[in-house]
Amino acid sequence: MFIIRLAELYICIENKYPFIERQCQNFLCHDCVTPDFSVSVSDAQIREEQTLGDFSAGYCESICIYRAICEKMAKYHIFLLHSSVIEVDGYAYAFTAKSGVGKSTHTALWLKNIPNARVLNGDKPLYRLESDGSLTVFGTPWNGKENWGENISAPLRAICFIERGAVNSIRPATELETVTRLMHQLYLRGDRAAIDRQLALMDALVRAVPYYVLACNISDEAAMIAFDTMKNSKLERN
Amino acid sequence: MRINPDFTIQKVGSIWVAVPVGETSKHFHAMLQLNETGAFLWNLMSKKDVSEAALVDALLEEYDVTREIAERDVARIVASLAACGVFA
Repeated sequence: MFIIRLAELYICIENKYPFIERQCQNFLCHDCVTPDFSVSVSDAQIREEQTLGDFSAGYCESICIYRAICEKMAKYHIFLLHSSVIEVDGYAYAFTAKSGVGKSTHTALWLKNIPNARVLNGDKPLYRLESDGSLTVFGTPWNGKENWGENISAPLRAICFIERGAVNSIRPATELETVTRLMHQLYLRGDRAAIDRQLALMDALVRAVPYYVLACNISDEAAMIAFDTMKNSKLERN
Repeated sequence: MRINPDFTIQKVGSIWVAVPVGETSKHFHAMLQLNETGAFLWNLMSKKDVSEAALVDALLEEYDVTREIAERDVARIVASLAACGVFA
């Protein structure tokens, strides 16, 4: 059992396997605090997760625990959006795409071409909806197979949907594109009340930041045009 | 016609989305996007069992359209909802 500080909350993790504690080492809290909530998962849940692939029990426990954490985060207006988030000079920029489109490749292009760029989280960051309607992104110990991420947070400037393209181009996403693509990336789960809460959150999410569609290849120019457009983006919040 | 009660409908931005919940979410792996007319009819059919004729009348009452257009819209929307398998 150990406590982590995640998205400014204290979470007690009641683990059975050591894997998750090693994974969480940069997020461990050694102070004596009262956790905001505790999570644990059953052997049955871990076994069920193991039937999905050839993974260790410790790894599967970690997956299940993060899922349980995310479900409890909803009441704090915090949610998981499967995405790669890069921090540059105090602001966060998010990329999301279907698996295999090249989120990681594009992220690597930012690191190479954009001064001061660092990966906040390469796979599973947490987003918090603020009272003014803006979003803050938090690093988490769950950061994908490249293990890119840090224990930092930053206000989100824009979200970009990535597609492959022969030439690089970026344009604002239509509202229908934004809703459709977000629905594919968010995990809608739980009972009716939980799903209603998630849909309300999504309604806030589509209004929170500007959205773009980037068609890109693997040249340095792809990162440059994405950054130039997103860093100058402005949202008129109503 | 009556919508399976295991759905929830909400507006996201200016788009209505219907999502399965509970038992239905285990076999219905999709969400629906509806326009204003679709959402209006959905809401009527989610409260009780209504006939196509009653939907046409409700549409005529709510919107400034001809009966011909209302009948066409209701028929089209009901057919596409039936194809999606959302009726109870």
